[in-house]
Amino acid sequence: MKIEGTHEVHVAPERVYATLIDPIVLQRCIPGCERLEKTGENAYSTTLRAGVGSIKGLFTGNVRLEDMQPPRHFRMIVDGKGQPGFLKGAGDLNFEERNGVTIVSYKGDVQIGGTIASVGQRMLQGAVKMMATQFFTAIEAEAKTVAHEPPPKHGFFRTALRWLSGLLRR
Amino acid sequence: MAKYVGQRVKRTEDPRLIQGLGHYVDDIKLPDTLHVAFLRSMYAHAKIKSIDTSEASHAPGVVAVYTGKDVAARVGPVPCAAALPDLKVPDYRVLATNHVVFVGQPIAVVVATDRYAARDAIDLIMIDYEELPAVIDVEQAAKGGPLVYEEYGDNIAYKLTAGEGDIEAALKSSDRVVSQRIVHQRLAPIAMEGRGVLARYYPGEQELTIWSSTQIPHLLRTQLAIMIGMPENKLRVITPEVGGGFGSKLNVYAEEALLGWISMQLGKPVKWIESRRENIQATIHGRGQVGYIEMGCNNDGTITGLRYNVFADLGAYHQLLTPAIPTLTGLMLSGSYKIPAIQMNVTGVFTNKMATDAYRGAGRPEATYVVERAVDLVAAELGMDTVDVRRKNFPAPSEFPFKTATGLFYDSGDYEAALNKALAMADYKSLREEQKKAREQGRLIGIGLSTYVEICALGPSQAMPAGGWESATVRIEPTGGVTILTGASPHGQGQETSFAQIAADELGVDLNAVTVIHGDTSIVQYGIGTFGSRATAVGGTAVFIAIEKLKEKATNIAAHMMKTDASNVVFKEGRFTKQAAKAASAGAGAKPEPEPDVPVGEAPAGAMPEPEADGKGVTIQDVALAAHIARDIPPGSEPGLSATYFFEPTNFTFPFGTHIAVVEVDRETGDIKFMRYVAVDDCGKVINPMLVDGQVQGGIVQALGQAMYEEIVYDDQGQLVTGTLMDYAIPKAAMVPWMDLDRTETPSPVNPMGVKGVGEAGTIGATPAIVGAIVDALSPFGVRHLDMPIKPETLWRIISKAN
Repeated sequence: MKIEGTHEVHVAPERVYATLIDPIVLQRCIPGCERLEKTGENAYSTTLRAGVGSIKGLFTGNVRLEDMQPPRHFRMIVDGKGQPGFLKGAGDLNFEERNGVTIVSYKGDVQIGGTIASVGQRMLQGAVKMMATQFFTAIEAEAKTVAHEPPPKHGFFRTALRWLSGLLRR
Repeated sequence: MAKYVGQRVKRTEDPRLIQGLGHYVDDIKLPDTLHVAFLRSMYAHAKIKSIDTSEASHAPGVVAVYTGKDVAARVGPVPCAAALPDLKVPDYRVLATNHVVFVGQPIAVVVATDRYAARDAIDLIMIDYEELPAVIDVEQAAKGGPLVYEEYGDNIAYKLTAGEGDIEAALKSSDRVVSQRIVHQRLAPIAMEGRGVLARYYPGEQELTIWSSTQIPHLLRTQLAIMIGMPENKLRVITPEVGGGFGSKLNVYAEEALLGWISMQLGKPVKWIESRRENIQATIHGRGQVGYIEMGCNNDGTITGLRYNVFADLGAYHQLLTPAIPTLTGLMLSGSYKIPAIQMNVTGVFTNKMATDAYRGAGRPEATYVVERAVDLVAAELGMDTVDVRRKNFPAPSEFPFKTATGLFYDSGDYEAALNKALAMADYKSLREEQKKAREQGRLIGIGLSTYVEICALGPSQAMPAGGWESATVRIEPTGGVTILTGASPHGQGQETSFAQIAADELGVDLNAVTVIHGDTSIVQYGIGTFGSRATAVGGTAVFIAIEKLKEKATNIAAHMMKTDASNVVFKEGRFTKQAAKAASAGAGAKPEPEPDVPVGEAPAGAMPEPEADGKGVTIQDVALAAHIARDIPPGSEPGLSATYFFEPTNFTFPFGTHIAVVEVDRETGDIKFMRYVAVDDCGKVINPMLVDGQVQGGIVQALGQAMYEEIVYDDQGQLVTGTLMDYAIPKAAMVPWMDLDRTETPSPVNPMGVKGVGEAGTIGATPAIVGAIVDALSPFGVRHLDMPIKPETLWRIISKAN
């Protein structure tokens, strides 16, 4: 399955890039992320509670970042499995500055299997879009946080509010 | 005039079913029942490196967890009854041990105190898979591609050539040859009730009872006895109400054997009720052929030959009849036409998918679709009316039994009569004129025809994998009730009604006095089951002949009671009377006056019926009671009143008919609307027109599903994408057109009642008519063929491109 999308993040690319490769921040920002540990240079292992529609469950997997070109590009390789099935895939993330806004564009190919494929496939595009919106909204809040300040809190409602106010701002 | 046969008698099954009072497998509740859930492969192709069940074993409510290692040596493989030369038969174990080959393949099983605990514990089993490349596309698999089984070296399960006549010469000498690649997409049978199994083992008696939602209780008992390794006479299979099968339950499944074995291990009843998701992924699929048609014809429309090279998508394993299904396609490739040379070259191909097997029509819808599409192509090629091409190639009624180049003898037929009737009903001439006018206005109207013939009453034992006969026992109980035990296993076809109609007429009793019992191997003599439109033509005939035998017995006893010779006894409307010998020879008014009936049950139990003294004769109920009390029956004769008959048919039967579909395609959206649907079916002698209409309607709806909506889709990794009824589109009521149904009646000479069978006619006849109509609607765009399911999107693209 091909996934593709863009997001505007109202912070400079350097800041976005740094945030995206900080495991502590990532764990807070990835929807449903229960654990994210560094296992090597640009490699992480993670536990994620995720799902589509009625098909939900716990996934464990590995994330690896490659082809690091700060602050413009990296490639992400994901491999995970859980009770509802498995997923694996790779995608490219590009960061481009336009009038002080970072345009994050992602493009990737994900293969899914198990129940999630036979039940959730038709809803997956939508679910991915929703998770990406949540994620990048949270990343923006994190990237805006000044050093030594307490980190922002996330969660579905806070993220939704931030996303809405972001829309109004535009 | 028969009182019941030929009448629209309402199904006696229905009051209990529509009130929810029937008992399906899941309605049977036994104390202390444990519940079973299956862990199924999420990969289409993988090695299993390890399985860790320790956490699942300790989960709340879990009683046992079994994996392939526990059962490999103790439960035999899932059987395949199809014997083809050089057929590769993979070892299909009830649980996979180290290699999984399709999504949905059972790997482990959890037994728990309730089904939720069992299901939850499934998630706690840890499996370490090593994913292998999967092969999904049947043509790619045939060419090579990743191998389902390394050890075979290729994915070819078998190759087979069938047919007679010199096809090369026929095609070469034809004026023209039309050719087309066609796809018969994979379908899911989607019986309303999924599969379900309840197994109970009594360790003391060493008896195992299995309730299963199946079409073949006796064959299942035999196969399960072999798989589990127990004496067949200690095994009892019961099929309670079965909510549809369509061929999907003409099978022996891993789950059925496993539950039996588990019940033996634990000494408790165990139950498994299939979920719809399991049903779509792990109950057999139907169709799944990709083929290439070449049909030769002369400029006057005469068909000269047909070649069909086909790749059959078997899936990863053989279920009971998997490889045999395409052979039925080969048998029926002559359709309703005289085709001097026919050749089918089948390549049976393994793919990383669920097995295909019999689905309503089982190989014959494919044949009819091939032939009918080819005839439409010939008509398009020659610029002839499709009706004229068909008519030109029909065998005349005088040519029956008609021998085909596929080696069959069609029993009886009048194809032109059915065609003419359907054309008249649809007012074909006016339709074509209307179509012409509509086209001038830019409207897209299409008319499609199918003049099908199919093969029913499966079949003579010589041509069947495991016996083609059927059995019946008919008895009259001491209190006068008529009991029929049939080896057929009706599951929606209504034979509790139609067999009772036969018996009620033949024995002169009330319909309500007859009870039809089926689907319990401890009660009913061995039988074959219900599939291949065989239950009435073969099973019904067994009932009919058993009744004749029973009447012969009863006549002897009646004669004894009336103190006369059997040759002087006449049986009419339930009563034996002494023949008025002189009056009979005199001829005029010979009919003995029927006397007022003695109500059933009036004789006190145990009392001897009064011997005939007053000329009224004796009823068959009197005879039954006398036969059971047996104090005064003819010396040396057998007490009781029952007869059993095993009927072996001498040939198949060949029902036929004409279906006409008229559609209009919306130019803006590609949406397809039915304007008319006409079907004239000839299934031989009709016992209950209402049942026949129901079978035809249901069949047409399933054909419509294939033509326009249904398709099992696996992605290129072998993941089942159409895994729910949200994704797999079966026709809903609003999608179904009004159907004008009628019949012609050409009796079959194969059985004494002249019946042929009708269970699959609709599915076989309707698909090409619907596709033909849609193609015809799009013919102004140069369209000659479209693959199923034909979606509005496809049509919209064709129309948009042309604009």
